[in-house]
Amino acid sequence: MAEEEINIPSLVIVLLVTGLAVRYFFFSGNASSANRQPGGTGGATPEELQRRREREREAAVETIQQMFPQVDRRTILWDLQRHGGNLQATTERILAGRTETPPITFQPPPPPSSPETTAAAQQSAAAAAASKYAEKKVHPDLITRYNLRDKLASAPSEDTGAAAGAPKTGGWSSNREERQSLLRKRRDQMIIEARRKMEAKIAAEKAAAAAASGSAGGGDN
Amino acid sequence: MSLNVAQRRLLQEYRALTNNPPEGITAGPISEDDLLHWECLIQGPEGTPFEGGVFPAELKFPNDYPHMPPTMKFLGDIFHPNVYPSGLVCISILHPPGDDPNHYETASERWSPIQSVEKILLSVMSMLAEPNDESPANVEAAKMWREKRSEYEARVKASVRASLGL
Repeated sequence: MAEEEINIPSLVIVLLVTGLAVRYFFFSGNASSANRQPGGTGGATPEELQRRREREREAAVETIQQMFPQVDRRTILWDLQRHGGNLQATTERILAGRTETPPITFQPPPPPSSPETTAAAQQSAAAAAASKYAEKKVHPDLITRYNLRDKLASAPSEDTGAAAGAPKTGGWSSNREERQSLLRKRRDQMIIEARRKMEAKIAAEKAAAAAASGSAGGGDN
Repeated sequence: MSLNVAQRRLLQEYRALTNNPPEGITAGPISEDDLLHWECLIQGPEGTPFEGGVFPAELKFPNDYPHMPPTMKFLGDIFHPNVYPSGLVCISILHPPGDDPNHYETASERWSPIQSVEKILLSVMSMLAEPNDESPANVEAAKMWREKRSEYEARVKASVRASLGL
């Protein structure tokens, strides 16, 4: 009998607490589902999980790219994918220069367009990508690349004379700056020589073609 | 500035290549501040469609060079079966040491610390002359090289002239 008397108030308390708890969960559940899109079941949907994963991955890529701007996105994504998305490990591998070149079949997802980015931002990104692609496709010629137009314009005889005077502008210099400039000079020399040879070859071809047509004309006369 | 193993070795190779440059090759670090990043020029071998051309390429060395090989990337357009459209060169000497998982190459063909920058550049030069048909990096070029050789040669010659600004 005494047990029953003790049990009834405790039962009431338990019921009350349960009621409050249910009410609390119900209420908060309602509030949070109001924040989410309608139809959300409270927990994260697979779609949301996927998006969260993408966001994490992009954040990792961005962090790494800030540290190593020279490493391209594809390489980073490949490394992250290969090694379970461990940012620390990928950073260490890049530092050690041990990142692998991703195989040609590896097509990483494009940088996501976060909901805040407007269509305009996307367009400009696309334009930037397109211009980058075009840039990659059309390489400037060597004369432009190494800025040799002036040197090319200078008298060729003087140039070859200088080359003859110093047959190979080689030789190791103990001075670091001198080494650098000698290397540059050898490189420029090599390009200019190739260009002159090719010019001569084209001229010779033209002359040969002209001579051939001339002699053919002569035969007709 | 104290140099690590890779930097010491690269400086030594740079010195050898400067004192005794192989025919048609100029190579060295872009700046001695970073010995792991080189730029080189390779002359197109004679008697090939690449003849007369000069091809710039960059070499990037890993920190554990010479245990691991560098990567090599042409900086201009090169239409060649063993060069990816991005310019990346695919030849056995640039592959990490050890046996090929696909058994195409023997360990001796692949990178090992006894190889050198000079050997890489000479290998690339001979690769320009004789493409390796077995593992094409540029499928289009490989196909054209195999099936329409004259068309391939004309295309390469035209790009060589264009690269010299002619």
